[in-house]
Amino acid sequence: MRRRSVASRRIVDLAMRLVAGSAAAAGILALAWILATVVSRGAAAFSPAFFTHLPTPPGVAGGGLANAMLGTLLITSLAALFSIPMGLMAGVYLAEFGRESRFAAAVRMATNILMGVPSIISGVFVYTLLVATTGHFSGYAGAVALALIMLPVIVRTTEDMLLLVPGALREAGLALGTPRWRVTRDIVLRSASKGLLTGVLLAVARVSGETAPLLFTSLNSPYWPERLGQPTANLTVTIFSYAMSPFRDWQAQAWGAAMLITLGVLATSLCARLLMRGK
Amino acid sequence: MMNALLVEPLVGTERLPARASAPLSSPQVKIAARNLDFFYGDHQALFANSLDIFANRVTAIIGPSGCGKSTHLRVYNRIYDLYRNQRASGEVLLGGENILSPGLDLLDLRRRVGMIFQRPTPFPLSILENVTYGLKLYYRLRPSELMERVERALRQAALWDEVKDKLDQPGMALSGGQQQRLCIARAIAVEPEVLLLDEPTSAIDPIATARIEELLDALKASFTLVIVTHNMQQAARVSDYTAFFFEGKIVEFGATRQIFTNPKLKKTEDYITGRFG
Repeated sequence: MRRRSVASRRIVDLAMRLVAGSAAAAGILALAWILATVVSRGAAAFSPAFFTHLPTPPGVAGGGLANAMLGTLLITSLAALFSIPMGLMAGVYLAEFGRESRFAAAVRMATNILMGVPSIISGVFVYTLLVATTGHFSGYAGAVALALIMLPVIVRTTEDMLLLVPGALREAGLALGTPRWRVTRDIVLRSASKGLLTGVLLAVARVSGETAPLLFTSLNSPYWPERLGQPTANLTVTIFSYAMSPFRDWQAQAWGAAMLITLGVLATSLCARLLMRGK
Repeated sequence: MMNALLVEPLVGTERLPARASAPLSSPQVKIAARNLDFFYGDHQALFANSLDIFANRVTAIIGPSGCGKSTHLRVYNRIYDLYRNQRASGEVLLGGENILSPGLDLLDLRRRVGMIFQRPTPFPLSILENVTYGLKLYYRLRPSELMERVERALRQAALWDEVKDKLDQPGMALSGGQQQRLCIARAIAVEPEVLLLDEPTSAIDPIATARIEELLDALKASFTLVIVTHNMQQAARVSDYTAFFFEGKIVEFGATRQIFTNPKLKKTEDYITGRFG
């Protein structure tokens, strides 16, 4: 019986570790690179005017993206206002009441498909539904497009989080003679509250960087978003158009907006992480 | 070979088990199960269970894992109703009323029959709110009455002294044994007639277990107790009557002392002496 060489096993082990380690490092490096570039280029654009003024034509100093910031905030909030209650209730239905019923299975599958739909498709869909029919772009249409993207994320995380609540807790509620809806409201939802908030935050983070659906719905505007029934300024479409423009000062502002969104998404994800850890 | 395990259904109370001691004389039947079958989908888990549960006594249900102990217990408050593929047939009489009848008010049944689970199940609420949760469902009480009932329930559950200064703290912050006593307080606050305990100490350390066992002895003055346990010493310590389950059938039922010292059937003796299970 010949002994197999230990040295060759050591070499393979080392090689595998190197490959796996560098793959992991590449991922982190990419993120670090993006963050470094966005921050170093974007920080220069941050000024009081950037946060308080309306955009100016190229070459005119002192312009800001205050309208786009407000627009993004309004559109995202409105999208959240549509999708959070509906998503939570649908999730509650799937986890608590529908369970293995055929209808619940259909809803679950539809939700999965909706989650896989490219965001641009949501944009085009809402375009034909709300823009082509009314004849103009609007912030409302943008909010609906974003809500469509958020909805399946919230439904699925809600269902998953509720299923993590031990069955014994539901039974304990019912065993006390509590009606089912009160068990759901007082015990199940409350137990899962941190997880539910995390799901909502992740859904918001997911859509706050979306550009394609807004391009077909809200479009953009150089004015304050006084009414959402008209084209509405927002950060992502602004980044898109400013970054494509040949003007230096617009490009600098696109970097600034990119940094703002990146930091916002990062902060939201961190909040979600911390909430889950606190669980 | 199965025939040896089958027992005839009890008819009325003529076949009461031999009485172990004086205080056990002339007990009243609180729950009477008759020919109870239970199904998980197509799988039959209980076969013609007939059992009498005596008022103000502790009845232990013992048997190896998967023998249907918990399944049987979970019929008494119809908690299995939560799952659409589970169903029971036969009769379970609580004070003469068949609780399996479709028109039964489940919420009222569960006020009369409380339940304690294997793992403590404090609600995500404060200690005080945990105890008042059931109370507020059934009664309109003035704050002073409410506090009286809370204190009484917590004292009965031997928890009052440990929590009286921190009633507003979350119930989840208590230790496992305290959480289980909190659940007992919550269940007895609504003054049920029967308290079902499904392996109530299996997730709890020995010292906390001893406290809960002491508690059971005190509680039987006010309630009828049914405890499922895989711990035979526990059954011997806390119960007045014992039912031995095997493969979904009730093999032997009798006074605990008789079951443990002089079982009628070989199967019971083998289980009690640890030859299987």
